[in-house]
Amino acid sequence: MAENGNSTAQRPPAIEVRRLTKDYPLPGGLQRVRAVDDLSIRVEPGQIYGLLGPNGSGKSTTLKALLGLLRPTLGECFLAGVPGSNPAAHRAIGYLPEAPYFPRFLSGRELLRFHAKLCGLPRAGREERIEALLVRVGLESAADRRVGTYSKGMLQRIGLVQALVADPPILILDEPTAGVDPVGAADIAALILEQKARGTTVLLCSHLLAQIEEICDRVAIMHRGRLLAEGSLDDLLGRSARQALVVENLPAAELAAFRQWLGERGGTLYGVERPAARLDRFFLETLERAERVAPPATAGVGDAAR
Amino acid sequence: MSNPPTEPLRFSFRRVSVLAEHAFREAVRQRVFQFTTLLAAVLVVGSLGLRELDFGGAELKFVADFGHGALVLFGSVLTIVTTVQLLGGELENRTLLPVLARPVRRSEFICGKFLGAWAVVLAFCAVVTALLLGALWLRMLSLPPPLPDAPLVPAAVAPYAGVLAGGALQAVKFGLLAAMVLLVGSYSQSTLFAQASSFLVLAICHLQYLARDAWQTGHGWLERFGGGLIGLVFPNFQLFGGEYLTSGAGGPEPLIVARVALYGLAYTAVFLALAVWSFRRREI
Repeated sequence: MAENGNSTAQRPPAIEVRRLTKDYPLPGGLQRVRAVDDLSIRVEPGQIYGLLGPNGSGKSTTLKALLGLLRPTLGECFLAGVPGSNPAAHRAIGYLPEAPYFPRFLSGRELLRFHAKLCGLPRAGREERIEALLVRVGLESAADRRVGTYSKGMLQRIGLVQALVADPPILILDEPTAGVDPVGAADIAALILEQKARGTTVLLCSHLLAQIEEICDRVAIMHRGRLLAEGSLDDLLGRSARQALVVENLPAAELAAFRQWLGERGGTLYGVERPAARLDRFFLETLERAERVAPPATAGVGDAAR
Repeated sequence: MSNPPTEPLRFSFRRVSVLAEHAFREAVRQRVFQFTTLLAAVLVVGSLGLRELDFGGAELKFVADFGHGALVLFGSVLTIVTTVQLLGGELENRTLLPVLARPVRRSEFICGKFLGAWAVVLAFCAVVTALLLGALWLRMLSLPPPLPDAPLVPAAVAPYAGVLAGGALQAVKFGLLAAMVLLVGSYSQSTLFAQASSFLVLAICHLQYLARDAWQTGHGWLERFGGGLIGLVFPNFQLFGGEYLTSGAGGPEPLIVARVALYGLAYTAVFLALAVWSFRRREI
Protein backbone atom coordinates (compact mmCIF):
# COMPACT_ATOMS: atom_id res chain seq x y z
CA MET A 1 0.00 0.00 0.00
CA ALA A 2 1.09 3.55 -0.54
CA GLU A 3 3.01 5.24 2.19
CA ASN A 4 1.27 8.32 3.49
CA GLY A 5 4.36 10.13 4.64
CA ASN A 6 5.33 13.76 4.66
CA SER A 7 8.64 13.24 2.91
CA THR A 8 7.36 14.12 -0.55
CA ALA A 9 10.35 16.40 -1.09
CA GLN A 10 12.69 13.39 -1.17
CA ARG A 11 10.36 11.21 -3.19
CA PRO A 12 9.86 11.53 -6.92
CA PRO A 13 6.43 12.74 -8.00
CA ALA A 14 3.91 9.91 -8.28
CA ILE A 15 3.22 10.89 -11.88
CA GLU A 16 5.22 13.22 -14.07
CA VAL A 17 4.72 14.18 -17.69
CA ARG A 18 7.55 16.26 -19.16
CA ARG A 19 6.94 18.20 -22.35
CA LEU A 20 4.88 15.42 -23.91
CA THR A 21 4.06 15.77 -27.58
CA LYS A 22 2.27 13.10 -29.57
CA ASP A 23 1.63 13.22 -33.31
CA TYR A 24 -0.45 10.67 -35.19
CA PRO A 25 0.13 10.14 -38.90
CA LEU A 26 -2.93 10.71 -41.07
CA PRO A 27 -3.85 8.08 -43.69
CA GLY A 28 -1.26 8.32 -46.46
CA GLY A 29 1.47 9.10 -43.95
CA LEU A 30 2.38 12.52 -45.38
CA GLN A 31 0.53 14.62 -42.82
CA ARG A 32 0.32 14.35 -39.07
CA VAL A 33 -2.17 15.49 -36.49
CA ARG A 34 -0.96 16.66 -33.08
CA ALA A 35 -2.96 15.03 -30.27
CA VAL A 36 -0.88 16.34 -27.38
CA ASP A 37 1.30 19.43 -27.59
CA ASP A 38 4.12 20.11 -25.13
CA LEU A 39 2.19 18.97 -22.06
CA SER A 40 3.83 18.97 -18.63
CA ILE A 41 2.06 17.94 -15.43
CA ARG A 42 3.26 16.74 -12.07
CA VAL A 43 1.17 14.82 -9.54
CA GLU A 44 2.56 14.59 -6.02
CA PRO A 45 2.01 11.47 -3.91
CA GLY A 46 -1.35 11.40 -2.16
CA GLN A 47 -3.06 13.90 -4.45
CA ILE A 48 -6.22 13.47 -6.48
CA TYR A 49 -5.50 15.11 -9.79
CA GLY A 50 -8.21 15.78 -12.36
CA LEU A 51 -7.49 15.96 -16.07
CA LEU A 52 -10.30 17.87 -17.73
CA GLY A 53 -11.06 18.61 -21.30
CA PRO A 54 -13.62 18.10 -24.05
CA ASN A 55 -13.57 15.03 -26.28
CA GLY A 56 -10.47 14.95 -28.45
CA SER A 57 -8.48 17.19 -26.12
CA GLY A 58 -5.74 14.58 -25.68
CA LYS A 59 -6.57 13.22 -22.22
CA SER A 60 -6.70 9.54 -23.19
CA THR A 61 -3.60 9.91 -25.38
CA THR A 62 -1.78 11.35 -22.38
CA LEU A 63 -2.84 8.42 -20.21
CA LYS A 64 -1.79 5.91 -22.88
CA ALA A 65 1.60 7.58 -23.22
CA LEU A 66 1.95 7.44 -19.43
CA LEU A 67 1.27 3.70 -19.50
CA GLY A 68 3.70 3.07 -22.34
CA LEU A 69 0.93 2.00 -24.70
CA LEU A 70 1.96 4.80 -27.08
CA ARG A 71 5.42 6.11 -27.89
CA PRO A 72 5.68 9.87 -27.35
CA THR A 73 6.85 11.87 -30.35
CA LEU A 74 8.69 14.09 -27.88
CA GLY A 75 8.93 14.22 -24.12
CA GLU A 76 8.88 11.72 -21.30
CA CYS A 77 6.42 10.20 -18.84
CA PHE A 78 7.24 8.79 -15.41
CA LEU A 79 5.34 6.70 -12.89
CA ALA A 80 6.89 6.73 -9.41
CA GLY A 81 10.11 7.99 -10.99
CA VAL A 82 10.30 5.14 -13.55
CA PRO A 83 9.62 5.69 -17.28
CA GLY A 84 6.04 4.64 -18.01
CA SER A 85 7.21 2.63 -21.02
CA ASN A 86 9.06 0.30 -18.62
CA PRO A 87 6.57 -2.40 -17.55
CA ALA A 88 8.26 -2.48 -14.14
CA ALA A 89 6.65 0.93 -13.50
CA HIS A 90 3.25 -0.73 -13.80
CA ARG A 91 3.82 -2.47 -10.47
CA ALA A 92 2.87 0.86 -8.91
CA ILE A 93 -0.42 1.43 -10.71
CA GLY A 94 -3.97 0.32 -11.18
CA TYR A 95 -5.65 1.44 -14.40
CA LEU A 96 -9.29 1.74 -15.36
CA PRO A 97 -9.68 2.41 -19.11
CA GLU A 98 -12.45 4.53 -20.56
CA ALA A 99 -15.63 2.48 -21.17
CA PRO A 100 -13.94 -0.69 -19.93
CA TYR A 101 -14.45 -3.91 -21.86
CA PHE A 102 -13.51 -7.21 -20.35
CA PRO A 103 -13.57 -10.74 -21.79
CA ARG A 104 -17.26 -11.62 -21.98
CA PHE A 105 -16.71 -15.27 -21.18
CA LEU A 106 -15.19 -14.73 -17.75
CA SER A 107 -17.15 -14.22 -14.57
CA GLY A 108 -16.43 -11.14 -12.48
CA ARG A 109 -14.58 -13.24 -9.92
CA GLU A 110 -12.48 -14.99 -12.60
CA LEU A 111 -11.55 -11.60 -14.05
CA LEU A 112 -10.34 -10.34 -10.69
CA ARG A 113 -8.48 -13.58 -10.03
CA PHE A 114 -6.71 -13.25 -13.39
CA HIS A 115 -5.56 -9.70 -12.64
CA ALA A 116 -4.55 -10.62 -9.10
CA LYS A 117 -2.42 -13.49 -10.42
CA LEU A 118 -0.83 -11.24 -13.06
CA CYS A 119 0.18 -8.83 -10.33
CA GLY A 120 1.73 -11.70 -8.38
CA LEU A 121 -0.65 -11.52 -5.42
CA PRO A 122 0.16 -14.50 -3.19
CA ARG A 123 -2.39 -17.28 -3.07
CA ALA A 124 -2.87 -16.76 0.66
CA GLY A 125 -5.31 -13.91 1.10
CA ARG A 126 -6.01 -13.50 -2.63
CA GLU A 127 -9.59 -14.78 -2.50
CA GLU A 128 -10.33 -12.81 0.66
CA ARG A 129 -9.07 -9.60 -0.98
CA ILE A 130 -11.24 -10.25 -4.06
CA GLU A 131 -14.29 -10.97 -1.94
CA ALA A 132 -13.77 -7.84 0.17
CA LEU A 133 -13.51 -5.65 -2.94
CA LEU A 134 -16.60 -7.25 -4.51
CA VAL A 135 -18.56 -6.55 -1.34
CA ARG A 136 -17.22 -2.99 -1.23
CA VAL A 137 -18.70 -2.19 -4.66
CA GLY A 138 -21.86 -4.26 -4.16
CA LEU A 139 -21.06 -6.90 -6.79
CA GLU A 140 -20.84 -9.94 -4.53
CA SER A 141 -24.16 -11.35 -5.75
CA ALA A 142 -23.10 -10.96 -9.42
CA ALA A 143 -19.51 -12.15 -8.95
CA ASP A 144 -20.10 -15.54 -10.58
CA ARG A 145 -22.05 -14.20 -13.53
CA ARG A 146 -20.30 -13.72 -16.86
CA VAL A 147 -19.04 -10.20 -17.44
CA GLY A 148 -20.89 -10.18 -20.78
CA THR A 149 -24.18 -9.95 -18.86
CA TYR A 150 -23.12 -6.94 -16.76
CA SER A 151 -24.73 -3.51 -17.09
CA LYS A 152 -22.60 -0.43 -17.85
CA GLY A 153 -22.53 0.56 -14.22
CA MET A 154 -21.49 -2.93 -13.14
CA LEU A 155 -18.71 -2.91 -15.75
CA GLN A 156 -17.38 0.36 -14.35
CA ARG A 157 -17.47 -1.07 -10.84
CA ILE A 158 -15.75 -4.34 -11.75
CA GLY A 159 -13.22 -2.24 -13.71
CA LEU A 160 -12.53 -0.11 -10.68
CA VAL A 161 -12.10 -3.21 -8.54
CA GLN A 162 -9.64 -4.75 -11.02
CA ALA A 163 -7.63 -1.52 -10.80
CA LEU A 164 -7.62 -1.80 -7.01
CA VAL A 165 -6.99 -5.53 -6.76
CA ALA A 166 -3.23 -5.26 -6.10
CA ASP A 167 -3.66 -2.29 -3.77
CA PRO A 168 -1.51 0.01 -5.94
CA PRO A 169 -0.11 3.34 -4.67
CA ILE A 170 -1.19 5.08 -7.90
CA LEU A 171 -4.60 4.86 -9.57
CA ILE A 172 -5.18 6.05 -13.12
CA LEU A 173 -8.89 6.28 -13.90
CA ASP A 174 -10.21 7.26 -17.30
CA GLU A 175 -13.82 8.41 -16.94
CA PRO A 176 -14.56 6.24 -13.89
CA THR A 177 -18.20 7.36 -13.69
CA ALA A 178 -19.10 7.31 -17.40
CA GLY A 179 -22.47 5.59 -17.82
CA VAL A 180 -22.97 5.19 -14.07
CA ASP A 181 -26.15 6.44 -12.38
CA PRO A 182 -25.83 9.22 -9.78
CA VAL A 183 -25.91 6.77 -6.87
CA GLY A 184 -23.15 4.69 -8.40
CA ALA A 185 -21.17 7.82 -9.28
CA ALA A 186 -21.40 9.05 -5.70
CA ASP A 187 -20.27 5.63 -4.48
CA ILE A 188 -17.29 5.65 -6.84
CA ALA A 189 -16.39 9.16 -5.67
CA ALA A 190 -16.53 7.92 -2.07
CA LEU A 191 -14.30 5.00 -2.98
CA ILE A 192 -11.76 7.34 -4.58
CA LEU A 193 -11.76 9.50 -1.46
CA GLU A 194 -11.24 6.37 0.66
CA GLN A 195 -8.19 5.56 -1.43
CA LYS A 196 -6.86 9.10 -1.00
CA ALA A 197 -7.29 8.76 2.76
CA ARG A 198 -5.05 5.69 2.57
CA GLY A 199 -2.37 7.69 0.75
CA THR A 200 -3.12 6.57 -2.80
CA THR A 201 -2.40 9.01 -5.62
CA VAL A 202 -5.25 9.28 -8.13
CA LEU A 203 -5.13 10.70 -11.64
CA LEU A 204 -8.56 10.81 -13.19
CA CYS A 205 -10.19 12.07 -16.34
CA SER A 206 -13.84 13.01 -16.13
CA HIS A 207 -16.48 15.08 -17.81
CA LEU A 208 -18.45 15.45 -14.57
CA LEU A 209 -17.13 18.81 -13.45
CA ALA A 210 -19.15 18.83 -10.22
CA GLN A 211 -17.57 15.55 -9.22
CA ILE A 212 -14.07 16.72 -10.12
CA GLU A 213 -14.65 19.83 -8.04
CA GLU A 214 -15.77 17.72 -5.08
CA ILE A 215 -12.87 15.31 -4.95
CA CYS A 216 -9.82 16.74 -6.72
CA ASP A 217 -6.94 18.61 -5.12
CA ARG A 218 -5.56 19.90 -8.41
CA VAL A 219 -6.83 19.97 -11.96
CA ALA A 220 -5.43 20.51 -15.42
CA ILE A 221 -7.61 21.70 -18.27
CA MET A 222 -6.65 20.54 -21.74
CA HIS A 223 -7.95 21.64 -25.11
CA ARG A 224 -6.71 20.49 -28.53
CA GLY A 225 -3.76 18.83 -26.89
CA ARG A 226 -2.59 21.90 -25.02
CA LEU A 227 -2.63 22.69 -21.34
CA LEU A 228 -4.83 25.74 -20.80
CA ALA A 229 -4.81 25.93 -17.01
CA GLU A 230 -3.34 23.98 -14.14
CA GLY A 231 -3.40 24.39 -10.41
CA SER A 232 -5.27 23.75 -7.18
CA LEU A 233 -9.02 24.35 -7.27
CA ASP A 234 -8.65 27.20 -4.80
CA ASP A 235 -6.12 28.92 -7.03
CA LEU A 236 -8.07 28.36 -10.20
CA LEU A 237 -11.50 29.30 -8.87
CA GLY A 238 -10.20 32.15 -6.72
CA ARG A 239 -12.34 31.15 -3.79
CA SER A 240 -9.78 31.10 -1.04
CA ALA A 241 -10.48 34.66 0.15
CA ARG A 242 -14.27 34.43 0.00
CA GLN A 243 -16.69 32.83 2.43
CA ALA A 244 -20.34 31.87 2.10
CA LEU A 245 -22.87 32.06 4.93
CA VAL A 246 -26.15 30.28 4.33
CA VAL A 247 -28.98 31.60 6.52
CA GLU A 248 -32.70 31.02 6.57
CA ASN A 249 -35.63 33.40 7.19
CA LEU A 250 -33.56 36.56 7.70
CA PRO A 251 -35.94 39.60 7.39
CA ALA A 252 -34.97 42.38 4.98
CA ALA A 253 -34.39 44.89 7.78
CA GLU A 254 -32.06 42.53 9.54
CA LEU A 255 -30.20 41.95 6.30
CA ALA A 256 -29.52 45.69 5.97
CA ALA A 257 -28.27 45.75 9.54
CA PHE A 258 -26.06 42.76 8.86
CA ARG A 259 -24.60 44.43 5.77
CA GLN A 260 -23.76 47.50 7.88
CA TRP A 261 -22.33 45.39 10.70
CA LEU A 262 -20.16 43.55 8.20
CA GLY A 263 -18.93 46.79 6.63
CA GLU A 264 -17.91 48.14 10.03
CA ARG A 265 -15.67 45.08 10.40
CA GLY A 266 -13.99 45.39 7.02
CA GLY A 267 -16.09 42.80 5.22
CA THR A 268 -18.11 43.19 2.06
CA LEU A 269 -21.38 41.46 1.26
CA TYR A 270 -21.06 40.67 -2.43
CA GLY A 271 -24.49 39.28 -3.06
CA VAL A 272 -27.66 37.85 -1.64
CA GLU A 273 -29.11 34.86 -3.48
CA ARG A 274 -31.81 32.30 -2.94
CA PRO A 275 -29.87 29.09 -3.57
CA ALA A 276 -31.90 26.17 -4.79
CA ALA A 277 -30.88 22.65 -3.80
CA ARG A 278 -28.60 21.07 -6.41
CA LEU A 279 -30.42 18.44 -8.41
CA ASP A 280 -27.77 15.77 -7.81
CA ARG A 281 -27.90 16.35 -4.05
CA PHE A 282 -31.73 16.37 -4.09
CA PHE A 283 -31.75 13.12 -6.12
CA LEU A 284 -29.43 11.33 -3.71
CA GLU A 285 -31.30 12.60 -0.64
CA THR A 286 -34.62 11.44 -2.09
CA LEU A 287 -33.20 7.96 -2.71
CA GLU A 288 -31.67 7.84 0.76
CA ARG A 289 -35.04 8.71 2.30
CA ALA A 290 -36.72 5.96 0.26
CA GLU A 291 -34.04 3.46 1.36
CA ARG A 292 -34.68 4.32 4.99
CA VAL A 293 -38.43 3.78 4.61
CA ALA A 294 -38.20 0.53 2.59
CA PRO A 295 -34.73 -1.03 2.41
CA PRO A 296 -34.09 -3.34 -0.57
CA ALA A 297 -34.69 -7.07 -0.15
CA THR A 298 -31.40 -8.06 -1.81
CA ALA A 299 -28.22 -6.24 -2.77
CA GLY A 300 -27.92 -4.89 -6.30
CA VAL A 301 -31.61 -5.23 -7.15
CA GLY A 302 -31.69 -1.99 -9.07
CA ASP A 303 -28.79 -2.99 -11.25
CA ALA A 304 -30.49 -4.45 -14.27
CA ALA A 305 -28.45 -6.74 -16.42
CA ARG A 306 -27.92 -5.83 -20.02
CA MET B 1 3.09 -4.62 -3.55
CA SER B 2 5.65 -7.37 -3.97
CA ASN B 3 8.47 -5.38 -5.62
CA PRO B 4 9.16 -1.66 -5.96
CA PRO B 5 8.75 -0.32 -9.52
CA THR B 6 12.45 0.53 -9.72
CA GLU B 7 13.40 -3.17 -9.80
CA PRO B 8 13.69 -4.46 -13.38
CA LEU B 9 10.90 -6.72 -14.60
CA ARG B 10 12.43 -9.93 -15.88
CA PHE B 11 10.68 -12.36 -18.23
CA SER B 12 8.46 -14.55 -16.06
CA PHE B 13 7.14 -17.98 -16.98
CA ARG B 14 4.64 -17.61 -14.13
CA ARG B 15 3.02 -14.63 -15.84
CA VAL B 16 3.16 -16.43 -19.20
CA SER B 17 1.32 -19.39 -17.69
CA VAL B 18 -1.31 -17.06 -16.15
CA LEU B 19 -1.86 -15.43 -19.55
CA ALA B 20 -1.94 -18.83 -21.30
CA GLU B 21 -4.47 -20.23 -18.85
CA HIS B 22 -6.62 -17.14 -19.33
CA ALA B 23 -6.40 -17.41 -23.13
CA PHE B 24 -7.22 -21.14 -23.03
CA ARG B 25 -10.23 -20.61 -20.77
CA GLU B 26 -11.55 -17.83 -22.98
CA ALA B 27 -11.01 -19.80 -26.20
CA VAL B 28 -12.64 -23.07 -25.10
CA ARG B 29 -15.72 -21.17 -23.98
CA GLN B 30 -16.19 -19.75 -27.45
CA ARG B 31 -18.55 -21.45 -29.86
CA VAL B 32 -15.91 -21.87 -32.57
CA PHE B 33 -14.05 -24.46 -30.46
CA GLN B 34 -17.19 -26.39 -29.60
CA PHE B 35 -18.50 -26.17 -33.17
CA THR B 36 -15.32 -27.28 -34.98
CA THR B 37 -14.67 -30.10 -32.49
CA LEU B 38 -18.23 -31.34 -32.88
CA LEU B 39 -18.07 -31.20 -36.69
CA ALA B 40 -14.75 -33.05 -36.82
CA ALA B 41 -16.08 -35.67 -34.41
CA VAL B 42 -19.23 -36.16 -36.50
CA LEU B 43 -17.13 -36.65 -39.63
CA VAL B 44 -14.82 -39.18 -37.94
CA VAL B 45 -17.66 -41.18 -36.45
CA GLY B 46 -19.68 -40.79 -39.68
CA SER B 47 -16.89 -42.48 -41.65
CA LEU B 48 -17.94 -45.71 -39.95
CA GLY B 49 -21.25 -45.54 -41.76
CA LEU B 50 -19.66 -45.95 -45.19
CA ARG B 51 -20.25 -49.70 -45.08
CA GLU B 52 -20.76 -50.11 -48.84
CA LEU B 53 -17.02 -49.63 -49.22
CA ASP B 54 -16.28 -53.00 -47.65
CA PHE B 55 -12.85 -53.68 -49.09
CA GLY B 56 -10.92 -54.99 -46.08
CA GLY B 57 -7.65 -53.41 -45.04
CA ALA B 58 -7.90 -50.62 -47.61
CA GLU B 59 -11.10 -49.54 -45.94
CA LEU B 60 -9.22 -48.98 -42.69
CA LYS B 61 -6.81 -46.70 -44.53
CA PHE B 62 -9.79 -44.88 -46.02
CA VAL B 63 -11.25 -44.28 -42.53
CA ALA B 64 -7.84 -43.09 -41.29
CA ASP B 65 -7.39 -40.69 -44.23
CA PHE B 66 -10.95 -39.41 -43.91
CA GLY B 67 -10.50 -38.71 -40.21
CA HIS B 68 -7.10 -37.14 -40.82
CA GLY B 69 -8.69 -34.86 -43.41
CA ALA B 70 -11.29 -33.72 -40.86
CA LEU B 71 -8.47 -33.05 -38.39
CA VAL B 72 -6.51 -30.97 -40.92
CA LEU B 73 -9.49 -28.97 -42.18
CA PHE B 74 -11.19 -28.11 -38.92
CA GLY B 75 -7.91 -27.82 -37.02
CA SER B 76 -6.72 -25.15 -39.46
CA VAL B 77 -9.99 -23.21 -39.18
CA LEU B 78 -9.93 -23.49 -35.38
CA THR B 79 -6.29 -22.36 -35.14
CA ILE B 80 -6.78 -19.29 -37.30
CA VAL B 81 -10.10 -18.16 -35.86
CA THR B 82 -9.08 -18.75 -32.24
CA THR B 83 -5.67 -17.11 -32.51
CA VAL B 84 -7.01 -14.08 -34.37
CA GLN B 85 -9.71 -13.73 -31.74
CA LEU B 86 -7.22 -14.01 -28.89
CA LEU B 87 -5.05 -11.15 -30.19
CA GLY B 88 -7.01 -9.17 -32.78
CA GLY B 89 -10.24 -9.45 -30.82
CA GLU B 90 -8.51 -8.10 -27.73
CA LEU B 91 -7.04 -5.23 -29.74
CA GLU B 92 -10.37 -4.40 -31.32
CA ASN B 93 -12.36 -4.63 -28.08
CA ARG B 94 -9.59 -2.91 -26.11
CA THR B 95 -9.71 -5.69 -23.51
CA LEU B 96 -5.92 -5.82 -23.56
CA LEU B 97 -5.53 -2.27 -22.18
CA PRO B 98 -5.92 -3.24 -18.52
CA VAL B 99 -3.70 -6.29 -19.11
CA LEU B 100 -0.83 -4.32 -20.66
CA ALA B 101 -1.17 -1.75 -17.88
CA ARG B 102 -0.13 -4.56 -15.52
CA PRO B 103 3.53 -5.38 -14.88
CA VAL B 104 3.58 -7.58 -17.98
CA ARG B 105 6.17 -7.58 -20.76
CA ARG B 106 4.78 -7.64 -24.26
CA SER B 107 6.86 -10.73 -24.99
CA GLU B 108 5.09 -12.47 -22.10
CA PHE B 109 1.75 -11.38 -23.49
CA ILE B 110 2.45 -12.85 -26.93
CA CYS B 111 3.94 -16.05 -25.51
CA GLY B 112 0.91 -16.44 -23.23
CA LYS B 113 -1.47 -16.01 -26.14
CA PHE B 114 0.53 -18.48 -28.22
CA LEU B 115 0.54 -21.15 -25.51
CA GLY B 116 -3.17 -20.60 -24.84
CA ALA B 117 -4.06 -20.95 -28.52
CA TRP B 118 -1.79 -23.98 -28.90
CA ALA B 119 -3.33 -25.64 -25.84
CA VAL B 120 -6.78 -25.24 -27.42
CA VAL B 121 -5.60 -26.86 -30.66
CA LEU B 122 -3.81 -29.63 -28.75
CA ALA B 123 -7.07 -30.41 -26.97
CA PHE B 124 -8.84 -30.50 -30.33
CA CYS B 125 -6.18 -32.80 -31.84
CA ALA B 126 -6.30 -35.11 -28.82
CA VAL B 127 -10.11 -35.43 -29.00
CA VAL B 128 -10.25 -36.02 -32.77
CA THR B 129 -7.27 -38.42 -32.80
CA ALA B 130 -8.76 -40.43 -29.91
CA LEU B 131 -12.08 -40.62 -31.76
CA LEU B 132 -10.30 -41.70 -34.93
CA LEU B 133 -8.39 -44.44 -33.13
CA GLY B 134 -11.68 -45.60 -31.58
CA ALA B 135 -13.38 -45.59 -34.99
CA LEU B 136 -10.56 -47.66 -36.51
CA TRP B 137 -10.70 -50.16 -33.65
CA LEU B 138 -14.46 -50.53 -34.01
CA ARG B 139 -14.18 -51.03 -37.78
CA MET B 140 -11.38 -53.50 -37.27
CA LEU B 141 -13.61 -55.58 -35.01
CA SER B 142 -16.33 -55.76 -37.64
CA LEU B 143 -14.04 -56.88 -40.48
CA PRO B 144 -14.22 -60.61 -41.38
CA PRO B 145 -11.22 -62.76 -40.30
CA PRO B 146 -8.66 -63.70 -42.99
CA LEU B 147 -9.71 -66.66 -45.13
CA PRO B 148 -7.75 -69.85 -44.24
CA ASP B 149 -7.83 -71.06 -47.85
CA ALA B 150 -6.47 -67.75 -49.22
CA PRO B 151 -3.07 -67.29 -47.51
CA LEU B 152 -1.90 -64.72 -50.09
CA VAL B 153 -4.59 -62.19 -49.01
CA PRO B 154 -2.97 -60.14 -46.20
CA ALA B 155 -4.80 -59.65 -42.93
CA ALA B 156 -6.26 -56.16 -42.41
CA VAL B 157 -4.03 -53.98 -40.18
CA ALA B 158 -5.27 -50.71 -38.67
CA PRO B 159 -2.72 -47.87 -39.05
CA TYR B 160 -2.83 -46.90 -35.37
CA ALA B 161 0.79 -45.67 -35.26
CA GLY B 162 0.31 -43.60 -38.40
CA VAL B 163 -2.83 -41.97 -37.00
CA LEU B 164 -1.06 -41.16 -33.74
CA ALA B 165 1.97 -39.73 -35.55
CA GLY B 166 -0.32 -37.80 -37.90
CA GLY B 167 -2.21 -36.29 -34.95
CA ALA B 168 1.03 -35.29 -33.25
CA LEU B 169 2.47 -33.71 -36.42
CA GLN B 170 -0.74 -31.81 -37.06
CA ALA B 171 -0.57 -30.47 -33.50
CA VAL B 172 2.96 -29.22 -34.24
CA LYS B 173 1.78 -27.73 -37.53
CA PHE B 174 -1.12 -25.93 -35.85
CA GLY B 175 1.31 -24.51 -33.29
CA LEU B 176 3.39 -23.14 -36.16
CA LEU B 177 0.26 -21.78 -37.81
CA ALA B 178 -0.73 -20.08 -34.51
CA ALA B 179 2.69 -18.39 -34.34
CA MET B 180 2.28 -17.16 -37.94
CA VAL B 181 -1.22 -15.87 -37.18
CA LEU B 182 0.13 -14.02 -34.14
CA LEU B 183 2.71 -12.35 -36.38
CA VAL B 184 -0.04 -11.29 -38.78
CA GLY B 185 -2.24 -10.14 -35.88
CA SER B 186 0.57 -8.14 -34.28
CA TYR B 187 0.37 -5.52 -37.02
CA SER B 188 -3.19 -5.98 -38.38
CA GLN B 189 -5.68 -3.20 -37.76
CA SER B 190 -8.77 -5.45 -37.93
CA THR B 191 -9.67 -9.06 -37.22
CA LEU B 192 -11.14 -9.43 -40.71
CA PHE B 193 -7.81 -8.52 -42.31
CA ALA B 194 -5.97 -10.80 -39.88
CA GLN B 195 -8.24 -13.75 -40.69
CA ALA B 196 -8.11 -13.22 -44.46
CA SER B 197 -4.31 -12.86 -44.39
CA SER B 198 -3.95 -15.93 -42.19
CA PHE B 199 -5.98 -18.11 -44.56
CA LEU B 200 -3.81 -16.81 -47.41
CA VAL B 201 -0.68 -17.75 -45.45
CA LEU B 202 -2.18 -21.21 -44.85
CA ALA B 203 -2.76 -21.66 -48.58
CA ILE B 204 0.79 -20.50 -49.41
CA CYS B 205 2.25 -22.93 -46.88
CA HIS B 206 0.28 -25.81 -48.39
CA LEU B 207 1.52 -24.86 -51.87
CA GLN B 208 5.07 -24.04 -50.75
CA TYR B 209 6.43 -27.09 -52.56
CA LEU B 210 5.61 -25.37 -55.86
CA ALA B 211 7.88 -22.47 -54.89
CA ARG B 212 10.66 -24.89 -54.00
CA ASP B 213 10.25 -26.55 -57.39
CA ALA B 214 10.53 -23.15 -59.06
CA TRP B 215 13.67 -22.43 -57.05
CA GLN B 216 15.31 -25.72 -58.02
CA THR B 217 14.14 -26.07 -61.60
CA GLY B 218 13.07 -22.55 -62.60
CA HIS B 219 14.36 -21.01 -65.82
CA GLY B 220 14.82 -17.29 -65.13
CA TRP B 221 16.67 -15.75 -62.17
CA LEU B 222 13.45 -14.03 -61.06
CA GLU B 223 11.58 -17.33 -60.91
CA ARG B 224 14.41 -18.99 -59.03
CA PHE B 225 14.89 -16.05 -56.63
CA GLY B 226 11.15 -15.64 -55.97
CA GLY B 227 10.69 -19.38 -55.51
CA GLY B 228 13.68 -19.57 -53.21
CA LEU B 229 12.48 -16.65 -51.11
CA ILE B 230 8.96 -18.04 -50.68
CA GLY B 231 10.36 -21.52 -50.11
CA LEU B 232 12.58 -20.22 -47.36
CA VAL B 233 10.16 -17.82 -45.62
CA PHE B 234 7.13 -20.09 -45.64
CA PRO B 235 7.27 -23.61 -44.16
CA ASN B 236 6.09 -26.57 -46.20
CA PHE B 237 2.84 -27.81 -44.63
CA GLN B 238 2.72 -30.83 -46.94
CA LEU B 239 5.43 -32.43 -44.83
CA PHE B 240 3.11 -32.75 -41.83
CA GLY B 241 0.75 -35.18 -43.53
CA GLY B 242 0.68 -37.57 -46.41
CA GLU B 243 1.00 -41.13 -47.53
CA TYR B 244 4.08 -41.90 -45.48
CA LEU B 245 2.03 -41.73 -42.27
CA THR B 246 -0.66 -44.33 -42.96
CA SER B 247 0.60 -46.43 -45.85
CA GLY B 248 3.06 -48.75 -44.06
CA ALA B 249 1.77 -51.51 -41.85
CA GLY B 250 4.47 -50.88 -39.28
CA GLY B 251 3.74 -47.16 -39.08
CA PRO B 252 5.92 -44.23 -40.19
CA GLU B 253 9.66 -44.04 -39.58
CA PRO B 254 10.14 -42.43 -36.14
CA LEU B 255 13.21 -40.57 -37.39
CA ILE B 256 11.25 -38.93 -40.21
CA VAL B 257 8.44 -37.96 -37.84
CA ALA B 258 10.96 -36.47 -35.39
CA ARG B 259 12.70 -34.49 -38.14
CA VAL B 260 9.41 -33.05 -39.40
CA ALA B 261 8.42 -32.13 -35.82
CA LEU B 262 11.78 -30.41 -35.28
CA TYR B 263 11.37 -28.55 -38.59
CA GLY B 264 7.96 -27.30 -37.41
CA LEU B 265 9.21 -26.32 -33.96
CA ALA B 266 12.17 -24.41 -35.42
CA TYR B 267 9.89 -22.40 -37.71
CA THR B 268 7.52 -21.83 -34.76
CA ALA B 269 10.33 -20.31 -32.69
CA VAL B 270 11.28 -17.99 -35.55
CA PHE B 271 7.72 -16.79 -36.20
CA LEU B 272 7.04 -16.36 -32.48
CA ALA B 273 10.17 -14.23 -32.12
CA LEU B 274 9.04 -12.11 -35.08
CA ALA B 275 5.55 -11.72 -33.54
CA VAL B 276 7.11 -10.56 -30.25
CA TRP B 277 9.37 -8.09 -32.09
CA SER B 278 6.45 -6.72 -34.13
CA PHE B 279 4.09 -6.45 -31.15
CA ARG B 280 6.69 -4.64 -29.01
CA ARG B 281 6.77 -1.85 -31.57
CA ARG B 282 3.01 -1.59 -31.85
CA GLU B 283 1.12 1.40 -30.48
CA ILE B 284 -2.11 0.38 -28.78
